[in-house]
Amino acid sequence: MDWVFLSELAINGALTGLLYSLFAIGLVLIYKASSVPNLAQGGLTMVGAYVVLALARDVGLPLWLAIPLAAVVMFGLGFGIERVALRRLAGRPVVMILMLTLGLDIFLRGTTLAIWGGTSRSMELGVSYDPLFFDDIFISRIHLVGAGVALALFVAFMLFFRTRTGIKLRAIADDYMASWSVGISVERGVGLSWALASVVAVAAGVIWGEIQGVDQALSLLLLKGLTVAVLGGLDSILGAVIAGIILGVVENVVSDFLDPLVGGGSRELIVAAVLILTVMIRPHGLFGRHDIERV
Amino acid sequence: MQEKVEAQNILSMNSVEVLYDNVILAIKGVSVQVPKGEMIALLGSNGAGKSTTLKAISGLLKAERGRISRGEITFQGVDITEALAQERVEMGICHVIEGRRVFEHLTPDENLTAAAPRGMSRSTLNAEKDKIYGYFPRLAERKSSQAGYLSGGEQQMLAIGRALVTQPKLLMLDEPSLGLAPFLVEEIFGILQKINKDEGLSVLLVEQNALAALEIVSQGYLIENGRVVMHGTAEALKSNSDIQEFYLGGGETDFHNVKHYSRRKRWLS
Ligand SMILES: Nc1ncnc2c1ncn2[C@@H]1O[C@H](COP(=O)(O)OP(=O)(O)OP(=O)(O)O)[C@@H](O)[C@H]1O
Ligand SMILES: [Mg+2]
Repeated sequence: MDWVFLSELAINGALTGLLYSLFAIGLVLIYKASSVPNLAQGGLTMVGAYVVLALARDVGLPLWLAIPLAAVVMFGLGFGIERVALRRLAGRPVVMILMLTLGLDIFLRGTTLAIWGGTSRSMELGVSYDPLFFDDIFISRIHLVGAGVALALFVAFMLFFRTRTGIKLRAIADDYMASWSVGISVERGVGLSWALASVVAVAAGVIWGEIQGVDQALSLLLLKGLTVAVLGGLDSILGAVIAGIILGVVENVVSDFLDPLVGGGSRELIVAAVLILTVMIRPHGLFGRHDIERV
Repeated sequence: MQEKVEAQNILSMNSVEVLYDNVILAIKGVSVQVPKGEMIALLGSNGAGKSTTLKAISGLLKAERGRISRGEITFQGVDITEALAQERVEMGICHVIEGRRVFEHLTPDENLTAAAPRGMSRSTLNAEKDKIYGYFPRLAERKSSQAGYLSGGEQQMLAIGRALVTQPKLLMLDEPSLGLAPFLVEEIFGILQKINKDEGLSVLLVEQNALAALEIVSQGYLIENGRVVMHGTAEALKSNSDIQEFYLGGGETDFHNVKHYSRRKRWLS
C-alpha cells in the first residue's frame, strides 16, 4: 500500500469535497427558509459565473471589482426571484415550489445560451496551475483557494445565524405562521435567503468556472451539490461542510480502487450510492434536524 | 357619542364575516369590543369561530386563504380591516396562536430575540427580556435549552413572552390553557392578570375553559356557530344558567348532552 499516494488522494478529495460544500451551502440556505431543495442552484451558480465574466470581459472591469459587483447583482436577482415568482406560491404544496425551481433552472440555462452561447469561456483568475508540494503530496492551488472560500463562508454564516436577522431567518425556517404572528416578514426572510444563496452561487461559480470553464455544464454541479446537502442533512451548514469532505474523500479514494476494476466511471456510481443510501438509511442526513416530537 | 365609545375601546370589531377559500363562511357577523386596559374572554365550543375571530383581528387569515368579506375592524380608532399582519403587529396587536407554536429549534432566548421589532435597540431588547424573565422565572432558568424540549407550560409561557417582546397594546391569546394542568393554568392566568394590571395591557382571551377564563376577565362573549350568542360581564355570565350548564360543567347534563346541545344548535342556526 502506497500511503503517500493514498493521503494525496484523500487530501485532494477533501479539497474537492469542500468545493462541493461551497455549492451545497447555497442549497442549505434556501432549504432552511423554504423547505425545498432549490433545483435552480446549479443554474444560479452558472449565471453567477457568467455575470462575473460579463463584467470582467465584456465591461472590462478588473476581477477584484467584477466579483463583488456580480455578488451584488446576484443578491438582487435572488430577492427578485422571491418577489416575482415565489411569493405567488405561498401556501401552495411544497412540490409546486420544487417544480418552480426546476423551471427556473431550465430558464436560466436557456437565457445564458441565448446571450452568451454554448462555447465554454475561461475564468482566468490568475491562480497558478502549478501544483503545490507538501513533501511528496501534490495539491492543486485553485482547489486550495476554493476550499478556503468554502470554509470562510461557513464561518461567516455560522456567525450570521447568531445575529438578530439570522435568528429571524431560523425562526422562519421553524414556523411561518408563528413568525407572521410576531411581525416577522416571512416574505422578506425568504427573499434574503435566496439573495444569500445567489451570492454563494457567485463564489461557487467563480471557483468551479476556473476549474472546468464557464458553460451550461456548470449547472450540473447540482447533482453533487444536492448529494452533499442531503448527506449533510439539507438544513445544516456544518452538515454541508462535513458531508462535502466525506463525499470528496470517498469518491476520490474509492474510485481509485474501483476504476481499474470496472474500467472507469465509478465516481458517478459512488455519488449515486451515497445519495440513495442516505435517503434510504438516514433521511435526516448526518446533521439534519429531526422534528421534535412532544406531546 | 360614537367618538367617545371609540376612544374607550382599543379594539372594535363590527359585523365581521370571514370566508375561507372564498366559500366557507366561518364567522357570520361577529361584533366584539375590547375596552382599553381590560381583559375580555371569547368563549365557545370547538369550531365555533373563536380562532377565526382572532385571525381576522391579527391579519393571519391571509396565511390560511381566508379573508374578511364584510364588516370592519378598528384598532385605536384606525381602520385595520385591510392591513397586513406585520403592520398590525407594529401597531400593537399581537396574537399568541393556538397550540403554543414556539420556534422549536431556537433557544427560548432566541425565541424572544426573533420577535424583536425592527429597529429595537439591543438595550431595549435586553430590558424587555429581563422583564419577561421576571414575569416567567421558569423561562429564565431554561433560556439556553432548545425550546422544542420545554414542557407544555413553559412553551406557553414562552409563546406569551415572545408576544410581549413586540410591545403589544392588545394581546390576544388562543386557548393558552389547552392541555395544561390546572395549577399551571392558574399560574399563567395569574401572570396575565399581573401584566394587565402593571402595564395596562388589553387582553382578548379565547378559551374553552370558561371557568378559569371568567375568573380573570371583566366581560365575556359567547360564540356559537360563527355568531355571538351572548355578551355580558363575567359575573353575569357565571350566573347564567346556560353557561353554567354547558360551559362551566354545572347543572345536571353529562358530557354527551353537552355535545348534543352544541351540535344541535349548530345545525339549527
Ligand atoms: N383554514 C381553514 N380553512 C377552511 N375552513 C376553516 C379554516 N379554519 C377554520 N375553518 C372553519 O371555520 C370554522 C371555525 O373554525 P375556528 O378554528 O375559528 O373555530 P374555533 O372556535 O377556534 O374552534 P376550536 O375550539 O376547535 O379551536 C370551523 O367550521 C372550521 O372548520
Ligand atoms: Mg380555535
